Amino acid sequence: MSLAGFEIDVQRSGSTGLETEEMTLNMGPQHPSTHGVLRFVVKADGEVMREAVPDVGYLHRSIEKISEKVGYHGFMPYTDRVDYVAAMFCNQGWAMVCEKLAGIEVPRRGEYCRVIAAELNRIASHLLFGATMILDIGAATPFVHAFRERERINDLLEQLCGARLTYNYMRIGGVAWDLPPGFADKTREFLDTFEPALDEFNDLITNNTIYVERLASIAPITAERAVSYNLVGPNLRASGMRYDVRRDAPYSVYPELEFDVPVGSGEVGTVGDCFDRYIVRIREMQESCRILRQCLDRIPEGPVIAKVPRKFRPPAGDAAVRVESARGDMHWYCVSDGTEFPYRTHIRTGSFGAMSIVNEASRGLMIADLVALIASLDVVAPEVDR
Amino acid sequence: MKAKGYFGRIKDTCVTVFEGMAVTFSYLVRKPSTVQYPDRMPMRVQDTLPFRYRGILEVDLEICTGCLACERACPIDCIVIDAAKDKARGMIMTRFDIDMAKCMYCGLCSEPCPTGAIHHTPEFEGADYSLESLVRRFVHDPVVCYKPKKAGEDDPTILPLLERGMRYVDEFATPETKKAAAPEQPA
Amino acid sequence: MQEFLDSLIAQGYFGSLPHTLVYAAGMLVFGLVVVFGFVLIVAGLTTWVERRVWARLQGRVGPNRVGPQGLLQWLADGVKCIMKEDVVPAAADARLFKLAPYVVVVGFLLAFVVVPFGSRPIIADLNVGILYLTAVTSLVVVGILIAGWASNNKWSMIGGIRAAAQIVSYEIPTSLSIMPIVLLTGTLSMQGIIAQQGWAPQDWFIFHNPFTFVAFFILYTSALAEGNRTPFDLPEAESELVAGFVTEYTGVRYLMFFLVEWGNLYVIGAIVTTLFLGGWQIPPITDNAVLRILLEFLTFFVKAYFWALVAMWVRGTLPRVRVDQLMAICWKYLTPIAFVNLLGTAVWITVWPQGNQVARYLMTLLGLALIVLFFRRVRFHLQRARIRERGQLSLNPLV
Repeated sequence: MSLAGFEIDVQRSGSTGLETEEMTLNMGPQHPSTHGVLRFVVKADGEVMREAVPDVGYLHRSIEKISEKVGYHGFMPYTDRVDYVAAMFCNQGWAMVCEKLAGIEVPRRGEYCRVIAAELNRIASHLLFGATMILDIGAATPFVHAFRERERINDLLEQLCGARLTYNYMRIGGVAWDLPPGFADKTREFLDTFEPALDEFNDLITNNTIYVERLASIAPITAERAVSYNLVGPNLRASGMRYDVRRDAPYSVYPELEFDVPVGSGEVGTVGDCFDRYIVRIREMQESCRILRQCLDRIPEGPVIAKVPRKFRPPAGDAAVRVESARGDMHWYCVSDGTEFPYRTHIRTGSFGAMSIVNEASRGLMIADLVALIASLDVVAPEVDR
Repeated sequence: MKAKGYFGRIKDTCVTVFEGMAVTFSYLVRKPSTVQYPDRMPMRVQDTLPFRYRGILEVDLEICTGCLACERACPIDCIVIDAAKDKARGMIMTRFDIDMAKCMYCGLCSEPCPTGAIHHTPEFEGADYSLESLVRRFVHDPVVCYKPKKAGEDDPTILPLLERGMRYVDEFATPETKKAAAPEQPA
Repeated sequence: MQEFLDSLIAQGYFGSLPHTLVYAAGMLVFGLVVVFGFVLIVAGLTTWVERRVWARLQGRVGPNRVGPQGLLQWLADGVKCIMKEDVVPAAADARLFKLAPYVVVVGFLLAFVVVPFGSRPIIADLNVGILYLTAVTSLVVVGILIAGWASNNKWSMIGGIRAAAQIVSYEIPTSLSIMPIVLLTGTLSMQGIIAQQGWAPQDWFIFHNPFTFVAFFILYTSALAEGNRTPFDLPEAESELVAGFVTEYTGVRYLMFFLVEWGNLYVIGAIVTTLFLGGWQIPPITDNAVLRILLEFLTFFVKAYFWALVAMWVRGTLPRVRVDQLMAICWKYLTPIAFVNLLGTAVWITVWPQGNQVARYLMTLLGLALIVLFFRRVRFHLQRARIRERGQLSLNPLV
């Protein structure tokens, strides 16, 4: 079906000879609840959808090409913009791929700083996910409550690296700033108030019957389909597959930390429905709190960055790393030709796979459920288009 | 959360709605977390921001050595410096422009600065009516670049700037090989 | 109203004019006073109240800059809307497009004919008062459907059709929940229903028997659905349909639709107050006629407005239901329960024609127990979030 024109199919219903038309709707690039600039061309029969074809590319900024111009060090702020909701993971991915190319080892305190920043950002990203999903379902109050908590995380990260959204915190070889004095105490204080706030959030909306009924058994995605459509991260775990890069292909200091990997189990409906995708992320926030407390207790003394030359010229070759971002398994691949500028960079993000399954998962859903589906897949448009 | 069945669902709905309404009612008696910027605040927001905050860039020309490290580090080429070596007087700088419209506040320029001349300020209110006014030109007349003194700075007009600049630069993490002893950061 | 005019005629104020002309003129004048002096102001202030309450529920402040405490915000919004460009989409059906807001406003304003403001002030105490109210509020659905269709926008049309299905379906539980009260009182007239209640809580119809207690909640829920309020605000679901049936409307036409929505909150409150909460009945503390009128007006207004506030509170708490779930709630849950209430009340008044005092007191105690339980849960949440310790308790509503 063509995305440019709007064809209307006229069908004749057999029994009564009634002429019905399928309606082609444009859930356009400007819409309050497509997360970012995404377009869906929806063919609907009344309220029930027949197909929803995603149209991506509105936010393509050629970030991968830009890396070939600005060089390894200069690309770090651009990685923030690949997924600005969970920017620390993108920073970490790029730093790790450069370190792998050049064989640099990050000092242990630097790794711990990275994990602390990354897990704080994971909580912030999941809060944003929860807030926007709930807003799309219709309740506006938990949205503001979640953003209030997110603002406190932003305050912590502002003290750490000076910015609230595009952190540019990590450098090749470590991190740019050490933890400021008093940061650990402030983080622990935040965690002490965040966990009850999360319980309150759950009392308000997660356990609410109307909310559960909106999400239960909507668009269930089985584990086989999730794997074949390349879903990663919480989307994959909600379908029942216990796969987490931090566990199964560990990097940084994750092998030393104790945490569970929450998996969806269809507790209110089918395994892999929208509610599972939501509750997996809520539980991941609680696991991140655990990880943060362990990191703050165990962080060693020492330098936080290794010595890396200003003119960074890694040997020719290629490297690929995987980072468990808030949106899933993020692959970073870089080909170096021995100069200061990378030859080719490629980023494979979790939202890209999630967009591809929207069409199939939305057959037979209502339009209101399409919104819930897109929200539950935690699609962030800049990550899809880069 | 299960209790399927007609009366179970009614009971679940009533109970969870009741609980939700109790939570929202409890917010009615809490202080709002709004910060009523800019006029009903106890102090300027800029004074509450941390020292590392990456706001609008500022250059202290008195301590700029003209090394062009910031120009090279900027990924967007928003810093333009014209500096030429003069045999008699050292480096002469004729132009130091930062285009704030292009700047993405990443901080990569302030990291390699040896004296902390270029640094981020807590200022963030930079909106203006024309694009040209966003280009910050720091050099009006050609200046002689600063030469750091081995024995330490003694000029009282320059010393505070240098101290502040070095404090800013020291915030950045230094690698192992550059540090004499790892500073004890309270965890 | 009619008696008042009769007394004026008897005193010779209107000479030899025919009585019907006097009545018509009197009702017109009173209606204009009500509309411009009461309805518009209450609807406008309700927008301010809603935004402030909405904000405090979320932990924010709400508009507080325009005028003292932001009280003139609604005027500023009104002026802004009036100054906007009047856009009629090129392919829209222009006549129907322009007609729709008027239909909706007429349907809404006609409801105020039977809303009592006290024991005497009411534009017309029709003897089919509550039936008239139900009939006239259905005019709103015609307007919404016209708006959705005439906009020539698929999203608007979906919104309009959803609204039609919703409002028409929810008429049934509304009417069925009104029936027990009509059974109890034997009259449809609004003043007649209030006259049979007393000022004390146990004399209100809500506590008359368990069936009317449940009927009250069914009525309130259905009335919220009639008024397109969350959790039933699909026709204007912001996150799905951009703005539903009002997507193409700008300026004053947009304002009309939303004025009706906010004014409807008060009408809902007025209906439930009249039927279940004793209306304007006050304890016999004074004989001064003017004071009585004032107290009755205030009592009625406070009771009705309280339920408007509860509607805003519910809007801030609950998510939206989907359209098929909406239909399921109406037909599978609310309607059967409303029928059971009707039968139960009929059986009750057969057994106890004068009502059962013991049952009344028990129901009042039940109501009080629910309120106490509610505040205990509120206290639990405050304690868990350690609000008092962190010094964040604020009992000042206008912070």
